[in-house]
Amino acid sequence: MDEKVKEEASKDNYRQEPKVGVYVCHCGGNISDIIDVKAVAAALAKYPGVTVAREYAFMCSSNGQDLITEDIKTLGVNRTVVAACSPSLHELTFRGVLQRAGVNPYLHEHVNIREQASWVHKLDKAGATAKAIKLAQAGVEKVLRKDALNAIRVAAEQRVAVIGGGAAGMKAALAAAGKGLEAVILEKTPRLGGKLPELGKMYPSGEEGAAVAKKLEDLVLAEKKITVHTGAEIDFVSGFVGNFKINFKKPDGSSAQVKAGAIVMATGYEHYKPYKGEFGYGEDGTVLTLPAFTALMKKLPAGRLEYGGREIKSLTLIHCVGSRQVEGVHKPQADGKINDYCSRVCCTAALHAANQLKEKYPGVRVYDVYRDIRAYGMKHEEYYDKASKDGVLFMRHNELDQPVVVSDRTGHTVKVKDVLTWGEELEFKTDLLVLVTGMTPADISLIKSQLKLPSGADRFLQEVHPKLRPVELANSGIFVAGAAQYPMDSTEVMASAGTAAAKAAILLAEPDIPLEPFVAVVDEHKCTGCGLCPPECSYDGALMMGEHNGKKVAVVNPALCKGCGACVAVCPTRAINVAGWTLEQFDAMVDAIAKE
Amino acid sequence: MTQKKILIITTNHSSYPGADAVGQARMAYGANTYIIRVPDPVMFPEDFYLRAYEKGIAGIIIMSSGSDCPYEGAYERLSKRVARVYEQMRAKGIASNRLKLTTICTVCRAAFLKEISEMEKAVTAV
Amino acid sequence: MKTLEKIEVDALVVGSGIAGLQSALDLADQGYTVAIVEKNPSIGGKMISLSKVFPTLDCASCITTPRMASVSHHPRIQALTYSTVDGIKREGKTFTASVTRKPRYIDEKECISCKRCEEVCPVYLPDEYEQGMGAKKTISIPFTNAIPQYPVMHPEHCIRCGACARACPKDCLEFLQEPAPVEIKAKAVILATGYETTPMTAKKQYGMGALPNVISPMAAERLLAPHGPYGRVLRPSDGMVPGSIAYVQCAGSRDKSIGIPYCSRVCCMYAIKQAILLSGSLPIADITIYYMDIRAFGKGYEQFYNNARAMGINFVKAKVARITEDDKHNPIVRIEKQEGTSAPEEVKHELVVLSQGLVPACDGTKFNLGVGNNDFGFVQLSDETSSSAVTAGTGVFAAGTVKGPRDIPDSVVDAGAAAMEAAAYIRRL
Repeated sequence: MDEKVKEEASKDNYRQEPKVGVYVCHCGGNISDIIDVKAVAAALAKYPGVTVAREYAFMCSSNGQDLITEDIKTLGVNRTVVAACSPSLHELTFRGVLQRAGVNPYLHEHVNIREQASWVHKLDKAGATAKAIKLAQAGVEKVLRKDALNAIRVAAEQRVAVIGGGAAGMKAALAAAGKGLEAVILEKTPRLGGKLPELGKMYPSGEEGAAVAKKLEDLVLAEKKITVHTGAEIDFVSGFVGNFKINFKKPDGSSAQVKAGAIVMATGYEHYKPYKGEFGYGEDGTVLTLPAFTALMKKLPAGRLEYGGREIKSLTLIHCVGSRQVEGVHKPQADGKINDYCSRVCCTAALHAANQLKEKYPGVRVYDVYRDIRAYGMKHEEYYDKASKDGVLFMRHNELDQPVVVSDRTGHTVKVKDVLTWGEELEFKTDLLVLVTGMTPADISLIKSQLKLPSGADRFLQEVHPKLRPVELANSGIFVAGAAQYPMDSTEVMASAGTAAAKAAILLAEPDIPLEPFVAVVDEHKCTGCGLCPPECSYDGALMMGEHNGKKVAVVNPALCKGCGACVAVCPTRAINVAGWTLEQFDAMVDAIAKE
Repeated sequence: MTQKKILIITTNHSSYPGADAVGQARMAYGANTYIIRVPDPVMFPEDFYLRAYEKGIAGIIIMSSGSDCPYEGAYERLSKRVARVYEQMRAKGIASNRLKLTTICTVCRAAFLKEISEMEKAVTAV
Repeated sequence: MKTLEKIEVDALVVGSGIAGLQSALDLADQGYTVAIVEKNPSIGGKMISLSKVFPTLDCASCITTPRMASVSHHPRIQALTYSTVDGIKREGKTFTASVTRKPRYIDEKECISCKRCEEVCPVYLPDEYEQGMGAKKTISIPFTNAIPQYPVMHPEHCIRCGACARACPKDCLEFLQEPAPVEIKAKAVILATGYETTPMTAKKQYGMGALPNVISPMAAERLLAPHGPYGRVLRPSDGMVPGSIAYVQCAGSRDKSIGIPYCSRVCCMYAIKQAILLSGSLPIADITIYYMDIRAFGKGYEQFYNNARAMGINFVKAKVARITEDDKHNPIVRIEKQEGTSAPEEVKHELVVLSQGLVPACDGTKFNLGVGNNDFGFVQLSDETSSSAVTAGTGVFAAGTVKGPRDIPDSVVDAGAAAMEAAAYIRRL
């Protein structure tokens, strides 16, 4: 199918007499259990401008979509209102239906009667139904006043900028280059590899982190399509999908710029740093984090475990330090929030470390204090088994009964209310305390604020939807790879980075990217050339006064306009509007809603 | 009985997904609420609000993106404009608590419900 | 014998569950041509039969159907449903797959999906889509949102009454239809053959599938689905609304006695999700989850688990030793608690769901393409720290649960990476 041809064919739809088709989705009970969908369809069928109103079990299904196509063909429907779930899920689905049927895809209005009606008005079925009718009627008013729009095509840089040179960044660059795209890695530290070289022996392959880093780095350096900038300090990121500009300082102090069509955020994670005094951390030298302990274990000779000048005869692992925190039990983080998420990889990492420890130092007594063991991966249970067989003593506590550590010169006394021994308070001495710390996102506040990137309550970068658009950020053209999104293990990082590169490759599959056409448009007949609007615009060059047919008018540069509408509000003659979001539409929607 | 209608102006970027999040969590609020979404409420001139009250809307909550706003300078412009709307409301004798400018993020579920319950109280007096 | 149908594409995707669909779309959107082969009459895999999915509680259908529609409308994707891959041969840089289209006994080109044949058919069969809880006709469209919307006739149950043929407005019944061979040539192969759940008979202490009110999680999904077999949650033995429901975790995982020592990754979360949905549809029911460890490790999962606890779902750290039933078919669960008391207890519930684990649906080595399996029959990666999809078979990639249990978000991400590896491989050829 030639989409460009269809686009041309659909350009003139708006000149036809408007015929609105209204489609009310049951969402298989999600909507229809609360909202009387038949009543909504019946009310809309009588509404002025509506040619047909239907209700159906799943509008998003192939059958549902076919209903619309059929009405376009046989009834001449040329504008649609679908009252269903949130537009974030299916607005694009229905625009696609219109497009395939030769109708301009922007002559569609999506009305949300699930997330914002049936799901929130469960106890008021009549109210929810009345609201759904009003919202659908407002939708009809809006779509009646819509113009056919056509995507603005923007020439795109055929290059992917990858921010971060750890496992995720290297894989994303390799995958993009494998597809024939140029990739540029910007890494702030002097070397590639990210956290890999510190990781010691990795599960389940048993490879050293440093060896994995070397393997990926060799592949990156051998790939001609990848450029690597280490020691790159990013100071300004700007632009938009297809045309991002990343300004950075090189180690020699000189400035450089990378232009890219897409950005992959592979900015990684930091190990959770316990606060001073958290289980004695920072106050006592024999309280270490797991990453520090694995690094240490790598260096020490086998046989006798010595640390800080004395022999370590017993060691205690405490899980969930900095993860699965509980309001009122744990001290909040700097931003006032607790880390209520699970860091996913630490249970297995701790078990794997215990296995290695027992291999190297069979005589050391190991205690493992946990809430749940989350050894979810294919071979992870084997580490758990091996640890049990090796004599690691497991103790399990409830979230409200946190273990207590008292330290003095003779070592640490650990108290655990252990559910495995039916809630008995166990108390034991240990020489070394290893805190199984979780993961937190790396500090990327500069890039985040410049590009306005979204993050969740957990502070990790937030995808649009975990199943529909799992590696896309809300900002068009920006993707996330690896632990910048959430804690994950090395194979999961490979998957995430590969997919981020796939989405970039899809975006850049053609030399120009179609952009949504929601930019400011000036009605030259109404514009009086008063000059009030340009000072309202925050984007250089997007809105200026110019001349057209000998008349002074406001002129918009659609490639630079962001469509915020700041100019719209100040126009005394309402001559300027954001395409697809006009004041006339909103006035008509308010009228429909306010009407008794 | 005439319904006291509340118009909620949300943003594509944050408060509209925030309203979705309230639904996903199956929290509840009154069905007299009508959510419309815009790229940014900065586009509405003063008379848009006054016209809505004239048409019979009881209360308006502007849920902006605040510091999450993807548009440069838009929030400052919006808050200045809302101040002017308040002046005009006063001149027309419309109670100022029938208009509220607030910030709702994509996961601000509790704040979303709080704003609605406060506006409910304001509009019962209308 | 029908003439051989020949198809030539860039990539062959075996399986059309969420992983297969996603990898096909991610390849086709980059400009590659794709053929999907699916053994079932509809694309969509296991996911299309689920009710709602964690942690967002979106209806599974709302997430799957648009992808199914995109695949079926995509100009560069051909989906062969109700077809089996009998063998794949490597010849130089090309794979040649022998595929058989199974007969539906209708003329697909003529069928208008009007269901009149289904309406008049007098023979009912247990409906496997509804996990045997509902009935379907011997000729029927597999389920509401199936793609394609063609009926399938099961000749072994047909009584040859001819009612369907008489009712068909397009005269498209073909009782003598035969399997049709197809040859697909492709440059790369993506295995996305997915999983099955461990059988109900796996653990003899849990009733061997003979206790009517001890059901599988897939059956529970259908009971909870808005368009499920009964339209509400009823227990199978007597149609009673259950007032006390229990989940038995690790019933088919982390259990060496049945040969499945690994964790199936998804069962904690699907049990929690079903419990949340159950407490929504049966607000007064007691819901208990017997577990060893709750493994809520994904993004937003711990918070989902915490919500479930706040809703009053009862989480009990206990091993379930045995399940029997009383004379009213109420399951009796014998538990050994990990906390509180040490003495074994017997607890009566009205419905029990066995949180079964995941096992491979198809042996990836059977095509003799150099692909290796791990100890448990899942496809093995050739180097897991450099790629999540490359197998030991050159040009053969793996997507989703064919490599081991994983949840939907992980499978979707995984599938994109498999598509990317395949794309790079094709480009290098």
